[in-house]
Amino acid sequence: MNPVNETVTQFERNARALLEESVSRIDARTRSRLTQARHAALEAAGTRRPRWLSSFTLMPAASAAGAALLVAFVLWHRQPAGELPLEGRSAPVEDIDLLADGEALDLIEGWDGPFYEWATAQTDASGESDG
Amino acid sequence: MPAALLGDVELTDSEAKTRSRALNQFLAGVELKAFKIAQAALRHEDDALDAVQDAMLQLARAYADRPAEEWRPLFYRILENRIRDMQRRRTVRGRVIAWLPFRGDDEDEEPDPIAQAPSPEPQPVRRLELDEAMVALERALGELPRRQQQAFMLRTLEGLDVAQTATAMGCSEGSVKTHYFRAVQALRAQLGDLYT
Repeated sequence: MNPVNETVTQFERNARALLEESVSRIDARTRSRLTQARHAALEAAGTRRPRWLSSFTLMPAASAAGAALLVAFVLWHRQPAGELPLEGRSAPVEDIDLLADGEALDLIEGWDGPFYEWATAQTDASGESDG
Repeated sequence: MPAALLGDVELTDSEAKTRSRALNQFLAGVELKAFKIAQAALRHEDDALDAVQDAMLQLARAYADRPAEEWRPLFYRILENRIRDMQRRRTVRGRVIAWLPFRGDDEDEEPDPIAQAPSPEPQPVRRLELDEAMVALERALGELPRRQQQAFMLRTLEGLDVAQTATAMGCSEGSVKTHYFRAVQALRAQLGDLYT
């Protein structure tokens, strides 16, 4: 070992001794605060919730999202009871055609409400007399 | 059956107790040196305490389940990050305060008369010599560039090897050697051969 390295080693040894002396002189108040900090850290580590328990905190949100998806799925595929299924997907287009049709609107304008009410009442009355 | 938890890992009661004891022992073993390292970097006792406390908390929360031999470099890595954050914040605060029209000295921080009172015990010569050498070393350490100071404190006071120091500093082993060598050279140039 060359003398330079040896001197550096001695220097380091002396520096370490001084620093350790300095550590040993840390006052009681600081030591006490460090001990408190350590206990707080250990307590924090010990009181953390397990992962499986932590996942429960996400359950309400997950449940709500799942329920919404389920409802959407059911509504999408649901056929109304007692109604014939629409043929293909042209029904909405037909509705639009009807609405756009000027003659259909004329028919609606010529709607005779009182006549149809009277006719309906007659039908109901004859049905009751038949029964 | 998992009954307790330390960090992120479920453990049986006995495992958790053993782990907790080991962590307690580890932290008790490093806390004073860590405080000294933080104090050298921050030059403020309360900030140094905060930094050490945060590092302890983060280690216990996030890395308690790691093998115990990894704790030391991890702990110092966390501590160094915390110190750097505090130094950055302090720099920003300093710049802001420098622009304020009225700024006084910290009048709240009056010196503690008990702490300032001279000790009634006579100081032996040896103790005085040590005191002087310690003050000189701490002053010289404070004047080192941060990375050099970091490398010197971790290697000399904490006794980390080059690889552990590299992990703690987040740099290569070659950088650690360079920083450490320069630190020793600078300190020797300023202090000569220290005596103890």
